[in-house]
Amino acid sequence: MIISDIQRFCMHDGPGVRTTVFFKGCPLRCKWCHNPETQSYQKELLFYKEKCIGCGICKACDKETCIVCGACAKNCPTGAREVAGRECTARELYDQIQKDVAFYGKKGGVTFSGGECMTQIEPLAEVLKMCKEKGIHTVVDTAGYVPFGNFEKVMPYTDLFLYDIKLFNPEKHQKYTGVSNKLILENLKKLFSVGVKIWVRIPIIPSVNDNIDEMRKIKEFLDECGTPEKIELLPYHPMGESKSQALGKTPHLFEIPDSEKMKSLKEIFE
Amino acid sequence: MDFFAVNGKRPIRLCEETRKFAFDSLNHKYGLETWSTPAVSMDDYKGFQNLSPLQKYDAVIERISKTAPIRICDGEKISGSATLGMAISHNIPADFGGKPVFSSSISHLTIDFETVIKKGVNHIQKQAEDALKKYKGTEKEPFIQSCIHCLQCMKMWHERYLEQLKNKPEYRANYENLKNVPFEPAKNFYEAVQSIWFTFAFVRLCGNWPGIGRIDWLLGDYLEKDLADGMLTLDEAREILAHFFIKGCEWVKGGNYGSGDAQHYQNILLAGVDENGKEVTNTVTYLVLDILEELGISDFPTTVRINKNTDKKLLKRIAEVIRYGGGVVAVYNEDLIIDSLTDYGYELKEARKFANDGCWEIQIPGKTFFTYIPFDSLQILQQRTFDNYGTKVCFADFESLYDAFVNDLRSEVEEIIATRNASRFIYTAVPTKEWKWAPDMPCTVVSLFEQGCIEKGHSYLEGGPVYNVASPHIGGLPDVVNSLYAIKKLVFDERKVSFAEMMRLLKNNWEDNETLRQYALNKYSYFGNDNDEVDIIAKNIISDFSDICDNLESGYKTPAGISTFGRQLDWSELRMATPYGKKAHNVLAGNFSPTPGTDKEGATAIIKSYCKADLKRTVSGAALDIKLLPSSVNGENGVEAISSLIKGFVTLGGHFMQLDIADTGLLKKAQKHPEEYQNLSVRVSGWNARFVTLNREWQNMIIAQTGSDL
Repeated sequence: MIISDIQRFCMHDGPGVRTTVFFKGCPLRCKWCHNPETQSYQKELLFYKEKCIGCGICKACDKETCIVCGACAKNCPTGAREVAGRECTARELYDQIQKDVAFYGKKGGVTFSGGECMTQIEPLAEVLKMCKEKGIHTVVDTAGYVPFGNFEKVMPYTDLFLYDIKLFNPEKHQKYTGVSNKLILENLKKLFSVGVKIWVRIPIIPSVNDNIDEMRKIKEFLDECGTPEKIELLPYHPMGESKSQALGKTPHLFEIPDSEKMKSLKEIFE
Repeated sequence: MDFFAVNGKRPIRLCEETRKFAFDSLNHKYGLETWSTPAVSMDDYKGFQNLSPLQKYDAVIERISKTAPIRICDGEKISGSATLGMAISHNIPADFGGKPVFSSSISHLTIDFETVIKKGVNHIQKQAEDALKKYKGTEKEPFIQSCIHCLQCMKMWHERYLEQLKNKPEYRANYENLKNVPFEPAKNFYEAVQSIWFTFAFVRLCGNWPGIGRIDWLLGDYLEKDLADGMLTLDEAREILAHFFIKGCEWVKGGNYGSGDAQHYQNILLAGVDENGKEVTNTVTYLVLDILEELGISDFPTTVRINKNTDKKLLKRIAEVIRYGGGVVAVYNEDLIIDSLTDYGYELKEARKFANDGCWEIQIPGKTFFTYIPFDSLQILQQRTFDNYGTKVCFADFESLYDAFVNDLRSEVEEIIATRNASRFIYTAVPTKEWKWAPDMPCTVVSLFEQGCIEKGHSYLEGGPVYNVASPHIGGLPDVVNSLYAIKKLVFDERKVSFAEMMRLLKNNWEDNETLRQYALNKYSYFGNDNDEVDIIAKNIISDFSDICDNLESGYKTPAGISTFGRQLDWSELRMATPYGKKAHNVLAGNFSPTPGTDKEGATAIIKSYCKADLKRTVSGAALDIKLLPSSVNGENGVEAISSLIKGFVTLGGHFMQLDIADTGLLKKAQKHPEEYQNLSVRVSGWNARFVTLNREWQNMIIAQTGSDL
């Protein structure tokens, strides 16, 4: 499998203290994506201009001919050049996850995120199984745009799904994420019917979905298909900006929703 | 009337008057008043100059007791005040000819409050009278006479308070409560609190800075009985105890003072087992946490003893209090510490009683002389092992470099103890084998409350206490570890640079190879990132250093400890560039915490790196400071996060950990607008300080430590 990063002591990706694994590769192209280096399934070179001291040790090749061999990043003394993406086995990943087992307690554990971890389903299922066998609490963070069969493969080893709903309006969903939300909503419905634990998470993106109408529709849909253990509204943050620039992409910026707005939208779900 | 919180709003349980009392105290009302009367004058004392030090001391204590201002604060529930300003500066508050009579006073000890509340000060008087019979006519007689004299002085001071209170009808309860204690055993909770406070205040009035110790263990039974008998309600008990904490702020006076104005070593411990192994946690434990949570008083650095069986409810409560910021509550891993003490040779029952001194150094309270001997191991590496980065130094491999460093460390520590040499690495006095330590510094008042002194006829500074400890404290340890690791990687493993060239670059403060400096700084994972390859170096040094300490020939106990207590600031002037990419004179690691900027994997990785060493060997202590951002502990998951860190810390074998919640943005704002942040407290290094009372250098150091995005 290919992952981009592992972060320890994460407090916002499920209950308790967690280690979050970011899988690389995603079928969606959300305009507000805060992990743009996890979209492609290939390794990518990031260049942080502000960190470069111009030492020339990287002997950087042309962007056009770059095959992401990683030689420049390896020698770069300041970390201005960095490769996103590394191949690893389920075993290697598990070894990293178990490092914080003393801190997980009963609530905490591992969260598989991304990118879309559910698109690398075989290795995901394998590492989930390993964690489960060792009693580590497991969370899968997904946007749901995968065949439902994938859910069936990981369900036995997953304690909780964090399930994103970005938009209810299908046209807007297509426009802002690059894919239709039909499969996403269908999968969520099915997932509810199987009776697994779900937290629904909604990123709040000003001018895209930060309106009462959109939230009400999501609420109506949820009322119809099941009760999530929790609904979290996550305010947009521009943390993807520097990474996006480092990838040579033009970041798409939005406003940061104010706390009043967040509060009024949250009330809809209470 | 807000009490500052980094996160959220502090709950209100205390009555308005008590909150006002706290607010005034924290905003310098009594501190400034105390400061304005610095000392008693001995100028008119006939023949003062010709007295012996001990006679001078006795005269000074008598004058203090007879003439120090009496202060009764509006609405106070317990009485007694240390009202002389020089005591705030760690000195006996007496002048002669415009100069202090003595050069210093006593701190770094927790005195014997157990005897005070259970047997009464009169019991100590009786002991002294017995000792006088025994030592009459011997060289020990003057000290015993001094003990009896100081007890009489304490009584005179007590009488003065009773007289004042008697004439004020609104203080009738105070009067009735103070009549009996501290001279007779306390009969109930209210008396017990007053007994501890009055004794504490007297010892402080005479210039000393004692710790409090295990307050819930001392007071728990009294409270449980009063609650059961219906003598007192829980709310009343909380108010009484709150006054104890508020009165403890009577030296808070604002201004900039280097290491802050909340540093008077009045430490408190909570929870843990008693001498028979039974858990102590009781109603007082929770009342103390209530008070700290509501008022955010940081002047009593409070540490909770955690063990594998600690109640979840208590852990949650600690996490809730920590979350408001201020670094008021820290934790000990009690299981490890008790093992550590028994391995070192203390009886199990004694070990279970452990408390601490001024910051977090472990001691058996009420019967231990304690001092520590701090030194900078990074300077040993740079100046001795690397000969100031000289051209003649060369090591063929990592092992021979490591061995050379440990040999230098051994020589240095042995020299310190053998020669009592306050050399370039240390500042403190080191006792001799015969305990001729500070003969010109009498210390009878403290000696009264340290078991062993009266029995042996020796003062606190003359080997009187049951245990006498001078603990070598290694500083700069993470920087030595990182330095050795960087050389291992750059010179021996990856051969990026020769040893000789490395020495040349470092001598030159990295001026002519920025590329390699950046590489050293950014490409390796140093201490604090859960990297076995580097953490094992720390583990080995601690083991070797502990062996060195355990084998010292000194005549007293010399357990190992790890600390800097902020000395990384002073030491920075003497330090050269480091192999891991830091330039000369940078402010580096504090205590046994990662060097600022090198910890990249977050709090759990820091704890893991720290716990890999066998910390049972550092009997005196090994402090870990962790700063968390408010954002990582907000919301309902925040309490869970903090208690998980504490649980992991205990499971993995940590010793002492202080968690603080702070962010650089907030601290920078406070630096700019101190007037708006008078009560923003931060954990400094074993103690707390109101951030705005730190001087600029200290403030910057705290900001740098907070910089890492955990």
